[in-house]
Amino acid sequence: MGDAALSSALIRQDVLPLAVGYALLMAALAAGLVLSLRRPAVPGQRPSPAASAASAVSAASADSAAGPAARGWLRLVRHVAGTAVGGYLLLMAVVVGYYFGVARVSGNFIEGAFTGCALLIGLSSPVFAAATWLVVRRRPSGNDR
Amino acid sequence: MAQHPVLGYLVWAVLFGALFAWEGLALSHLSGVPTLSATFRAIMRYPFGRWALFALWLWFGWHIFVRGWHFLLRA
Repeated sequence: MGDAALSSALIRQDVLPLAVGYALLMAALAAGLVLSLRRPAVPGQRPSPAASAASAVSAASADSAAGPAARGWLRLVRHVAGTAVGGYLLLMAVVVGYYFGVARVSGNFIEGAFTGCALLIGLSSPVFAAATWLVVRRRPSGNDR
Repeated sequence: MAQHPVLGYLVWAVLFGALFAWEGLALSHLSGVPTLSATFRAIMRYPFGRWALFALWLWFGWHIFVRGWHFLLRA
């Protein structure tokens, strides 16, 4: 089978169903997020660490002092980095365990998992950082939601 | 490339259908079932939950965007 046919089959049978499922899941999550933002907050509910870190960044940005803002950003960076590193290591442990314990997948599966996931983190992290910075910058002062 | 049986597609369709039916039920507020976002929020309170969700996101992202793709500058 040629490369073109292989690519076509790969896109039709694997990439397309996964992409459609991913888009549907993200759309459902976005709808839930929009609905929860429209609803008033439940009294006594604690915000997530990421939300409180972003709020700290936002609140600190309104101040003229650079110290609190730096602490807010540092807290957010530490939270995101901890999640990314922990998730990456967990996935690599599962991949290695699956490869050696269940099925020996042919090709450079493990190498692809290590480098591909690292590449994905490397590409998405700057985008996430830029998006966070834009959200904090556009947020009116005093609005911590 | 091996042909996949129709049953496999049907199983995936039923699983996704059940997932979205659950989410629709939760968003309609007709029952006390939590939404996916509420579920994820509860999971993400704990570091291991965040790691597991991020690992899942990485797994999907790797398969969808990275694996099997040839970038322009790749030999």
